[in-house]
Amino acid sequence: MSEIGRLALILGFACSCYAVLSIAWGLRTGMAGPLKSGRRAVWIVCGLTLLATIILERALVARDFSYRYVAEHTSLDLPPYYAATSLWAGQEGSLLLWLLILSSYGAAFLWCYRKRFDPFYDAVAMVVATVMIFFTGLLTFVCSPFRILATPPADGNGLNPLLQDPGMMIHPPILYTGYVGFIIPFAFGIAVLLMNRTGTRWIEEVRRWTLFNWMFLGFGVLLGARWAYIELGWGGYWGWDPVENASLMPWLVGTAFLHSVMIEQRRGMLKTWNVVLIVLTFELSIFGTFLTRSGVLTSVHSFAESDIGPWFLGFILISSTAATALILYRKVLLESENRMDAVVSREGSFLFNNVLFVALTFATFLGTTFPVISEAVTGEKISVSAPFFNRVNVPIALALLLLTGIGPVLSWKRATASVLKRNFVIPSIVGLLATLTGIPFGLHGVYPIVCVAGAAFVLATIAMEFARGIQARKDAEPAASPVAMIHLVQKNKRRYGGYIVHLGVVMIFVGVLGSSVFQKEAHAPLKPGESLAIGSYTLTLQGVDQKQIKNAMQTRAAVEVSQGGKALQLMHPSKAFYSKSQQPMTEVALRPTPAEDLYLILGGVNDDGSASIQAYINPLVSLVWLGGIVMVFGTLIALSDRMRLKREEKLLG
Amino acid sequence: MKRAGAAFVVLALLAMPAAWIAPTPGFAVESAAGRKDPARAITSQLICPCSCGEILSGCTCDTGKAMQGFVTDALKSGKGKDQIVASLVAKYGEVIRGAPKAEGFNLIVWIAPFVATAIGFLIAAFVLRRWVGRRRVAVQGPGRTVGGGLIGAPTTADQDLARLRARAEAELKRMGE
Repeated sequence: MSEIGRLALILGFACSCYAVLSIAWGLRTGMAGPLKSGRRAVWIVCGLTLLATIILERALVARDFSYRYVAEHTSLDLPPYYAATSLWAGQEGSLLLWLLILSSYGAAFLWCYRKRFDPFYDAVAMVVATVMIFFTGLLTFVCSPFRILATPPADGNGLNPLLQDPGMMIHPPILYTGYVGFIIPFAFGIAVLLMNRTGTRWIEEVRRWTLFNWMFLGFGVLLGARWAYIELGWGGYWGWDPVENASLMPWLVGTAFLHSVMIEQRRGMLKTWNVVLIVLTFELSIFGTFLTRSGVLTSVHSFAESDIGPWFLGFILISSTAATALILYRKVLLESENRMDAVVSREGSFLFNNVLFVALTFATFLGTTFPVISEAVTGEKISVSAPFFNRVNVPIALALLLLTGIGPVLSWKRATASVLKRNFVIPSIVGLLATLTGIPFGLHGVYPIVCVAGAAFVLATIAMEFARGIQARKDAEPAASPVAMIHLVQKNKRRYGGYIVHLGVVMIFVGVLGSSVFQKEAHAPLKPGESLAIGSYTLTLQGVDQKQIKNAMQTRAAVEVSQGGKALQLMHPSKAFYSKSQQPMTEVALRPTPAEDLYLILGGVNDDGSASIQAYINPLVSLVWLGGIVMVFGTLIALSDRMRLKREEKLLG
Repeated sequence: MKRAGAAFVVLALLAMPAAWIAPTPGFAVESAAGRKDPARAITSQLICPCSCGEILSGCTCDTGKAMQGFVTDALKSGKGKDQIVASLVAKYGEVIRGAPKAEGFNLIVWIAPFVATAIGFLIAAFVLRRWVGRRRVAVQGPGRTVGGGLIGAPTTADQDLARLRARAEAELKRMGE
C-alpha cells in the first residue's frame, strides 16, 4: 500500500506541474481546452492527496510499523482515536494534511466557480496549483510519509504525551483550515495582477474567502490557547510562544485586510495596500509553518522540529519577491479611483486601525525573530518572551480596542461634528463611569484602566448602534424589540455581524484583563488532611493514589474544595508518566464557573509524602472562550450575507 | 476640527510611548498574585533555564521548581530583586531574562515597534492630508473657494452641485444672449 501512497504523491506532483503549464498555455493562447484540462488536473491532485491520506490513516490506525512515520508516532497501547489523529503529530503527516487542505481549497474553489467561464478564475487556479507543486514536491522528494523500515519494530515510539489531548484532535485541522485557506485570497490577488483585472467584484469574492479563513484561524488560535490552558499546566493560556505568535500574525494582518477591503469596496481606494496585505497574510501563514517545522526558535511546539526549514524559507523568499515585483509592475492598475474627503471619517479610522494592526504584527514578528538576529549580531543568546510582548504589544492592542469603538460609528466620507457628538458623548461617559466604578474594586494601573474604559466605550457604541437600528425597525413595522433586532440583523448581516464580532473582541479583552490582573495564586506542600486557602476557597488534600491509565501511570491527588465551610467538589489534579516517551505530563483539575475558574496543579509528590499543590483563581477567563464563540457566530452572520446576495442575483437573472 | 484631527494624530503618537513608560507594567506581567508575592514578581520576568522555554513562574518542570525555590530562599535571605536577577544572569547568561535589557543592540527590539508605529501614523496622516488636500484643490473653481477642513472638506455631492450650478449659470447666460 505504501507504494500506492508514494505513487499518488508523485502523480500529484506531476498533475500540479501539468495544471500550471496547461492553464498558463490556455491563458496565453486563449484556447479553452488547456484551461479545462488544467482545471481537471487540480481536481485530480485533490483526489490523489485524499488517496495518499487514506493510505497513511489506514496504516496509523492498523499500527503498521513497517511505515517509519507510524513507528515514530504511534504505539500499540495508544488509543485508536489518538492513532488516527497522529496524522498531524509529525512533520510528514502534517505536511500531508497541509496538502490535503490546500488541494481541497483548490477543488472547492473550482466547484464554486464552475459556472463562470472567465479566464481570471483559471489564473487563480493556476496560482493555487503553483503552491501545490511546492507541497507535493516536498512530500515526494524531501520528506515522504511513506518511507518503509527494513526491519519493522514490534512496537512504535508512541505519541508525544502533549498531543494526547482531545483539543489536539481538532486544534491543528481547524488552524490549518485557516492558515492554508489564505492561499485563495493570495491567488486572487496575484491573478488580478497577472490578468490586469480592474473592478471591485473580485474584492467581494476575496473578502468572503478571507473572512472564512480568518474565522477558522482565529478559532484555531483560541483552541490552541484552550489546549495550553488545560494541557501545559502553568495557569495561563497564552505564553507568547514563537509558534503561538506565528499563528497570530497572519490573523492580525488578515484582520487589517478585512477592514481596509471595505474602503476599496466603497471608495475604490487602497488597492495596492490591500494586495500587499493579502500577500503578507499568505506569506506569514507559510512563515508560521516554517517556524513550527524549522525549530529555529525554542518553543513548546519543538516536537515538530525538522530540517525542512530552508525549503520553506526559500519558498517564502521566491513567492514574496515574485509578488512584490508583480505589484510594482502593475502599480498603475492599483491606483486609487477616489480621494479621501476628510481625515475624521470611517476611511480615516480604518487607515489608522490598519497601521496599528500592522504595527502589532511587526512587533510580534520582531520579538519572535529577534533572538536569532541578536545572536547572529552579538553572539549572545537572549530570550524575548512574555515580559517583552506584554509591555510592547499591550499598548498597541489597547489602541486598537479604542478604534474598535470609534471606527464603525464614524460616517463614510466625513464625520460631521454633530455625528461625533451624537455617537461618542454617551459611550465616553459610560467608559468613564466604568473606570470610576472599577477603581474601588481594585482596578489600578494605566493599562487595566484603559482596557476597562475602552471595553465599556466599545460596548456602549455597539449597544447604541443596535438600539438605534431596533428603534428604526420598530418605527417601520411595529414589533417586539427581540423580533425587531432579528429583522435588523437579517436586513444587514454584514454590518451587524461585524458588531457581534466586535462584541466578542471586547469579551476577550475583558477576559484577558480579569484573568491576568486579578489572578490569584497559592501553593503549598500538603499532607492528607492539611488545607490551603485561596480566595474564598479552602482546599483540603484527601489523599494521593496511583493507577495505570491507558498508556501511562497516573499519580492523582484528591483535593476537597469547600467555600464557607460547605464542601463543593472533589477535584483531582494529576501527573501522568508515559512509559513510552519517559515523559511526565501535568493534568490540571478545573472548576469552571462563569465568574472564575479554580485551577489546580499537582506539582509532584515529595519525599515526605506531601503533595505539592499549586492553585490559581482565574477570574473571567470564561469570557475569553465565550468571546471566541461570539466572534465565530458574528462571522457566520456576516458570511451568510452572501447567500442573500446570491438569491437576489438569481432573481435578477 | 482641523486642529482636532491633528491633535488626534499627535495624541495617538504620544500615547504609546507614554503607555510604555507608564509605571504599571503590562497587565499580564504583574497580576494580583505577582503583586502579593515578590518571588513571583521576579520569576514572572525570567525564563526557565532548561529547554522548556517557559516563563519561570508558571514552569512545572523540576529545573523550574528548583529555580523558584532558589528565588524564594534568596528573598528570605534578604537579597533584593536586582541582586537575585544579576546572580542568575551571571550563572545562566542573558538568555534567562524573559525580555532583553534595553541596552546596546537589544535596544532595537524595544524601540523599533514604537518607531514603526509612529512612522506608520505619520505616513497615514501625510497620505490622508495629501488626499484631502488634493480633493480640496480639485473642487476650487476659478475665483471661488470651496472651504474645507479636516472634516469639512467638500464631498462628491458638493462637487456635482458646484458643477451643475456652473453649467446652469452658463446656459442661462447663453440663453440670455
